[in-house]
Amino acid sequence: MNTGTHTGMPHGDDAHAAPSLDRAQVTLKREGAGGLPLIAGALGVVLLAVAFIVGKGDPAQLFHSYLFNWVYFAMLSLGGLFFVLLQHLTRAGWSVVVRRLAEAVGATLPVTAILFVPIAFGVRAIYPWASEAAAHDPVIAHKSGWLAPGPFVVRAAIYLVLWSLLGWWFWRQSERQDRMGALQITRRMQSVSAPSMLVFAITLTLASFDWVMSLSPRWYSTVFGGYLFGGLAMSSFALLIVLALLLQRRGALGGVVTMEHFHDLGKLMFAFVVFWIYIAFAQFMLQWYANMPEETNWFAARLNPGWLPLTRALVVGHFVIPFFFLLMRDVKRVRWGLWASALWLLLMEWLDIYWLIMPSLYHDGPRLRLLDVLTFLALGLLFAGALAWTLRRRALVPVNDPRLVESLAFENV
Amino acid sequence: MSAAAATTGTVWGALAEFDSPAALYKAAERVRDAGFEQWDTHSPFPVHGLEKAMGLKRSMVPLAVLVFGLAGAAAGMGLQWWVATRAYPLVISGKPFFSWPAFVPIMFECGVLGGATGAVLGFLGFSKLPRHHHPLFESKRFERVTDDRFFISIEAADPHFDRSATVQLLERAGALAVELVEEPA
Amino acid sequence: MAEAVLHDVDAHVAAYDVDRDVDPIDHRPPLILGAPDFHSITEAVARPIEWKPPLGWWIVLGISLSMLALLGVAVAWLFWEGIGVWGNMIPVAWAWDITNFVFWVGIGHAGTLISAVLFLVRQRWRTSINRAAEAMTLFAVACALLFPTIHTGRPWLDYYMLPVPNQMGMWPQFRSPLMWDVFAVSIYGTVSLIFWYVGLIPDLATMRDRSREGTLAQRLFGLFALGWRGSHRQWQHYERAYLLLAGLATPLVLSVHSVVSFDFATAQLPGWHTTIFPPYFVAGAIFSGLAMVITLMVICRVAFKMEHIINLLHFDRMAQLILATGSIVGYAYSTEFFVAWYSGNLYEFFTFRNRAMGPYAWAYWTMVTCNVIVPQLFWFKKLRVNIPVLFVASIFINIGMWFERFVIIVTSLHRDFMPANWDYFHPTIWDISTLIGSFGLFFTLFTLFVRFLPMVAMSEVKGVLPQAHAQPHVTPPSVPYRQEEGAPA
Repeated sequence: MNTGTHTGMPHGDDAHAAPSLDRAQVTLKREGAGGLPLIAGALGVVLLAVAFIVGKGDPAQLFHSYLFNWVYFAMLSLGGLFFVLLQHLTRAGWSVVVRRLAEAVGATLPVTAILFVPIAFGVRAIYPWASEAAAHDPVIAHKSGWLAPGPFVVRAAIYLVLWSLLGWWFWRQSERQDRMGALQITRRMQSVSAPSMLVFAITLTLASFDWVMSLSPRWYSTVFGGYLFGGLAMSSFALLIVLALLLQRRGALGGVVTMEHFHDLGKLMFAFVVFWIYIAFAQFMLQWYANMPEETNWFAARLNPGWLPLTRALVVGHFVIPFFFLLMRDVKRVRWGLWASALWLLLMEWLDIYWLIMPSLYHDGPRLRLLDVLTFLALGLLFAGALAWTLRRRALVPVNDPRLVESLAFENV
Repeated sequence: MSAAAATTGTVWGALAEFDSPAALYKAAERVRDAGFEQWDTHSPFPVHGLEKAMGLKRSMVPLAVLVFGLAGAAAGMGLQWWVATRAYPLVISGKPFFSWPAFVPIMFECGVLGGATGAVLGFLGFSKLPRHHHPLFESKRFERVTDDRFFISIEAADPHFDRSATVQLLERAGALAVELVEEPA
Repeated sequence: MAEAVLHDVDAHVAAYDVDRDVDPIDHRPPLILGAPDFHSITEAVARPIEWKPPLGWWIVLGISLSMLALLGVAVAWLFWEGIGVWGNMIPVAWAWDITNFVFWVGIGHAGTLISAVLFLVRQRWRTSINRAAEAMTLFAVACALLFPTIHTGRPWLDYYMLPVPNQMGMWPQFRSPLMWDVFAVSIYGTVSLIFWYVGLIPDLATMRDRSREGTLAQRLFGLFALGWRGSHRQWQHYERAYLLLAGLATPLVLSVHSVVSFDFATAQLPGWHTTIFPPYFVAGAIFSGLAMVITLMVICRVAFKMEHIINLLHFDRMAQLILATGSIVGYAYSTEFFVAWYSGNLYEFFTFRNRAMGPYAWAYWTMVTCNVIVPQLFWFKKLRVNIPVLFVASIFINIGMWFERFVIIVTSLHRDFMPANWDYFHPTIWDISTLIGSFGLFFTLFTLFVRFLPMVAMSEVKGVLPQAHAQPHVTPPSVPYRQEEGAPA
């Protein structure tokens, strides 16, 4: 987020000088596992088929499991796009060395979009507003023009196409700069980032209303988009930490992504742990306080004796533990601390999405069914496969970015 | 050496003047390497990285903030708990006496107040302020430390201090001028 | 020296190119123009304190003081007569008072954003304006505290709000959001004061060392400088403490306007009870405060010849932040409207339709124009560095944000659940005098501040000059790179 103004930066021609980077530092070695994306993708497709065969008799279970895991991976890939937009918007210098990773994550959005298709077919199995009974509920009937399978799918298509285009475009532009080194490309990406951020905010909000909030069609919360965004932003930093650490284990990015960059990612992750609880608390407290039945029903479903332990665990696991852990400076500057906190928070984000979606299926308390696991593995493998593919195709660092020199030399003060 | 010869009273230490952060940084490294303990650098703004050149340990202010912050938050919640359940229990909008969600905002604010108090007390305590009288203020030259000049001061109390050798060390380290500062009478 | 620097600035501005000077890609632009040395920064900042103030300063002070006198009259009359002198009525009680309170608290938030949040995200351009913005925060919080203090017309009873043992044996009711406000705003004021003062210490020492021996100024500056010697052993703790204060002030500033929003949002009133209020109030607060910073800085930089320190780059960055926060505000307006419909709650939707088309439509559309449409100007780089545009837009935004609170409070209240209660709110002359008077208080304090204290953080500005770096900038090492501890070989 160092946008502006590091006065210690070299001025003039110096900054153009492309730093000499070793090929091994900026690309993924292919030896041995060249077919990894393909294998992961194929395995994902097989598992997905298995899930659909297993779940044939129980569409409600199948599609709920699918939806919640799909939303999780959609949030992860969208997090990549968010990171890229934020860095261009703020003219950030420090983050250039990890930006390509985020671009690669964002470039998987088309795959996410395609994987929405089953949900389009499962609308009736998932959403109460699509059922026969809904027509007799005046509150739901009031919005039947908005909450109906047709408009729902069309809107989802609009969000997903926009995200895919943006994710793909930023990745391709950045890769063009690798080859051409034109400053103009940076200028263009910066100009596009501001309106894109606006598009991102609006579509994410509407998507969160459509896909998650409408599971309880009578319930509403204006900050719901902000709630989902908090988790998305937090997990985008966590995912980048995990990716950079993984790639360094495989021998790439050595000396490129340093502890200084990890430290900053860790700080941002910490900031959004706090942001998440801020939104979560505000949403809960206001509805608890006003105590209006049309609002409290949503929380009542999550505070009943069955769900209460998980709700408590989420507060402790998603906020208390990471807050006090990441409060310590040093854990953000050692590998084990980064591994532990980033993986933990990715797990907590998953649990958060589970907590948002699954009470509409498991009324009495959390369950973990085979289909939850199968769809998680299937979608996870497809996401990982797509990500491995996008990471392999390009250099792992935007090697001709004008601010790469600044990023490589970056130090926390 | 003229500065050294001029003194008659008890010497508090040596004060060397530099004209740039870079000169100060290099000189600080030499003073550190000469093994001095009771010495300091002075500058109109914090010079980045100087703590490394001086070999300083990390500041303990964060610990004060944490302790005070947690104490503040606990006191905030404790006060509300005591008032709402012990001192003056009232039924308000059918909510329990101990309505923790309603007590979070004040708990948080009190925690921040505690933390800020800890930060400022920690800063003042660890940097031994306020201290309105100090031998360095006797030096006319030192007035520019808050404007555009950079200084190193080495106290006579340091075991390595030696009037002429220390002054020489500072002069060789690139000082514009070196003077001996006396204890105020 | 300073004149020479300013001459350079004129030349610089004459050949201004936004892409090159404000938003370049291939280098980081200088934050302070004219390549000044350390001493000339001291001179430029100390001058307004050491020189005789210009005539303009006296005129501004005179106007501010007369507005302040108006406040004195309005408040004295209020205390004498009681709150009947205000336009309070049922169902719209304390509308004007609360609007002013929320407006002023909001103004303060930009100061904390600039001093704390921008510090944490290493926006070093903030150094030119953070001191003045923090002072603005303090004075705005003082104005804000005025309104709850006087709102009963019986300020000697204000101790009811404090958790102190008293003769009635009563204690405050901590489940009330109004009590949260008492804590949030007073702690916000206290922490802002601490933060501001800690930042002032090195500059107070500068003023001490520049003052003539034995003068009152020297004694006072010396007293408050606490014996600062600029020693690195002190700087080290100072910087840690400053960073931590910024780290505390950031969630604090979020919490304060969130708590203010809770005053409304915990209620069941349509138009008030909505979960987006906390972040939306915070964004709106920062939005309005930034506009106030622009209003003040446009004047101060010219009046005190600081165009090289507070230059177009700073205005560009602030205008970008205005665009960002203004967009969040617009986003919140739309979300509220959409969800009012989506909820299927008739009362909720009625309130919003009534805002846009009811008797207060004029206020609603003033708000939308000023807060959503005006900031759209700042999509254009050229307008972000156009001082007249910035000045006019900033005033519009201030007006718009005052109206936002007015709209939220009045339109939600004036149509309550029982149509028999419906009414139209009219402020009295005393309401309006109190509002004008609060501006008098604010401008009096600010005018005195720029005359008696360094309005730019000298020590911080010196630290962002290129020559402040101890080591010449190290170009990143070429291959092989230094290995981090624990990195795979």
